[in-house]
Amino acid sequence: MKKLAIGVYLFITVALLGWAYNQAIYVAPNDAAQGEMFRIIYYHVPSASVAFLFFAVSLVGSIGYLASRHNHAERAQMFDAWALAGAEVGVVFCTVVLITGPLWGRRAWGMWWTWDARLTTTLVLWLIYVSYLLLRRFAAGPQMQTLAAVLGIFGALDVPIVYMSNRWWRTQHPAPVFGGGQDSGMDPTMVGALLWNMLAWFLWGVLILALLYRVERKQQKIAAEEAEHALNF
Amino acid sequence: MKKLGTALIVAVPIVLFGWAGYLVLTAPPEPPFDWRLHMSAAEHDAIVATLNHLYTRAAYTVTWAIQLGYAAWLFVKWQSQKQSGQGRSMQD
Repeated sequence: MKKLAIGVYLFITVALLGWAYNQAIYVAPNDAAQGEMFRIIYYHVPSASVAFLFFAVSLVGSIGYLASRHNHAERAQMFDAWALAGAEVGVVFCTVVLITGPLWGRRAWGMWWTWDARLTTTLVLWLIYVSYLLLRRFAAGPQMQTLAAVLGIFGALDVPIVYMSNRWWRTQHPAPVFGGGQDSGMDPTMVGALLWNMLAWFLWGVLILALLYRVERKQQKIAAEEAEHALNF
Repeated sequence: MKKLGTALIVAVPIVLFGWAGYLVLTAPPEPPFDWRLHMSAAEHDAIVATLNHLYTRAAYTVTWAIQLGYAAWLFVKWQSQKQSGQGRSMQD
């Protein structure tokens, strides 16, 4: 029954990714100013949105771990696994943002990169979470999970700064498409393509998040068994 | 058969990465700022349209390369964890 549910979910996700690709490439019209290149938005913006969402999962996991580590050891490990999974999947989506952005920037602005507020804060966000993953990978000892949780919380503080950066400061990056004032907004067909891609990539992200969570929980159980075995030996 | 499947899911993202790089690296040069001295507006627009097309394709390709590459890595990790779990239970 569980395998069937996973199969159905996988099928829906893949079908939606195909549908969303079709909407982005064949259905949405070319932008009047930027032409075909504007279609990068259908992968760039959903990737950023989904990255923010998974960094929020990591934040909740980190707070949950710190809150429950003394009283509920098993629950704390679950929170820790969610925190790690959220951070790792968030980094994957943030990497997509940081590669598709410069490809778009090269054509739109004539340069790959500029140190404006939106780009810089996004790079800082990515670096914080990469350092979180490196800490998880290479540090050892009982304090590692606590340190990682604190870093995860600090990393998440950068998310609202990234989101607000092109509202707070004058940037090379375009003004917000939605909720950015009187002149913001898109053609309804473009909005449709954008929302389909957001939904499809969100479902894809949830799929890999769930698989990563499962792998991490198994890893925790193996580590606990090995520690118990070593104590008994 | 299983090894072939694993090799395939690892190879596809690598090929996609290579393809994205190829699209960008082999793109025609940008028209110069004084392009009006060298070419017609139609020629200029054709070059710009080609560049836009190649960069858009590269962005889509690299997105799939990253996502499929990560999923492949995760799948391989999960498989090896399953196999080592089986090995452990046989030892016990």
